[in-house]
Amino acid sequence: MAKDRSNSQDYGAPLRKLLLSVMVLLLIAVFLLWRIDSPRVERFRAQVTDRIVPNFDWAMAPVTGMANLLRDFQSYQRIAEQNQELKRELRRMKEWKEAALQLEEENARLLDLNKVRLDPRLTFITGVVMADSGSPFRQSVLLNVGARDGLIDGWATMDGIGLVGRISGVAKNTSRVILLTDASSRIPALVQPSGQRVIVAGDNSAVPPIDFLENPSLVRAGDRVVSSGDGGVFPAGLLIGQIAKDPGGRLRVRLAADYERLEFLRVMRSYSNEPVSDVSSVLTPARATLQGSPQTTEVVDE
Amino acid sequence: MNDHSSYRVWVMRAAFILLTLFILFVHLLPLNSAPSTWALPNLLMGFAFAWSARRPEYVPAILLGLVLLLADLLLQRPPGLWAAIVLLASEKLKSQAPTLRAATFLTEWATVTGLIIGATVVNRVVLAVLLVDVPGLWLTLNQMGMTVLFYPAFVFVTHAIMGVRKSAPGDLDTLGGRA
Repeated sequence: MAKDRSNSQDYGAPLRKLLLSVMVLLLIAVFLLWRIDSPRVERFRAQVTDRIVPNFDWAMAPVTGMANLLRDFQSYQRIAEQNQELKRELRRMKEWKEAALQLEEENARLLDLNKVRLDPRLTFITGVVMADSGSPFRQSVLLNVGARDGLIDGWATMDGIGLVGRISGVAKNTSRVILLTDASSRIPALVQPSGQRVIVAGDNSAVPPIDFLENPSLVRAGDRVVSSGDGGVFPAGLLIGQIAKDPGGRLRVRLAADYERLEFLRVMRSYSNEPVSDVSSVLTPARATLQGSPQTTEVVDE
Repeated sequence: MNDHSSYRVWVMRAAFILLTLFILFVHLLPLNSAPSTWALPNLLMGFAFAWSARRPEYVPAILLGLVLLLADLLLQRPPGLWAAIVLLASEKLKSQAPTLRAATFLTEWATVTGLIIGATVVNRVVLAVLLVDVPGLWLTLNQMGMTVLFYPAFVFVTHAIMGVRKSAPGDLDTLGGRA
């Protein structure tokens, strides 16, 4: 009987089937287009995000605020304990501060002696984290600064202390930061006292491993890891974190930035790398060197 | 009566869009940026299946497709693929809706479990074939299991709170207007 009814009322079925096929084909076409021409679709994605996510902001701010308030409240419970801890840390910090002041003085004198001029163009712009990636598979956050504020793809992003990630995807009002923990993040770095060059390769875990280490015996747990500036990806000398050994003996980086709560991020302006403006000429450099028919050379001359 | 029920269909379609926006909103809340070792259930897929099995007319293919594509774009997934897979799975479920209507919840749960596993496998295979980076296996399995496990909760919310119920034999059909 149920069958009877579904048959008799299916006058709209062909139309629905057509709409469904159109929709599925459209979605698959979008996917294939993304696979073939990823930058264009990613730019479209950035624009869609730019249009939609800022509208959530009025609701996100209070909800995030409430959640953080609750979390703070939990930490009040062990406030006496924390106070002791802080006092101990403060004493240690005072020693460090003394040492740092002396070093700063010495550093200034040496810089003066050598007539070193630090890069005056390395300034920063601060943005607020609006949203995270929304999926456990990708590690990224959305900032409320974008092309309007002069941001460019590839700039480094820090919280107050350490490197957080790299700008990847700039829309008018927002930009996406791929965090160092993302599986697609690869940052050239330097392990501090020994000067070994490594790559910090994110793998979707809280402590990214290091790759391409030449001499592991020179590297110890606790060594500082800073960006090396190789390949013009980042300015050199930004703190990334400290080396730590995982139970399997693999060297990883314990990140200096506080990933538990990213709120304000600094985007470091750096104009060192040439912007890529003409993508096709980068992808097909052979075209200029082609010595083919006269027609080809005409095209190149134009 | 017909006017009234077609009005209700449009209200429920709008409600589904609102539900999607709410789910995306929850996902995007910047509460913790540290990577986690477990995954939330796929809320949107769960609700899409729960609604499709109950009232196919509330979630037409066009609406579902657009909403899923939006989710793909906002949640940093390869756009279009997951949307197409979930859309096809929902349509399969819709075509089985008349049989499911008479069956027990366990049957529905089993059918949906099959679809969820199938969707996850197809997604991974297509990504691997096209040489796209596949996300970690543990997280994927985790999300798949969580979605299956939480399906009764999605159904409960859909049924009891949003009032999307299987049409009973005597009901007026909302589109056809037939008893």
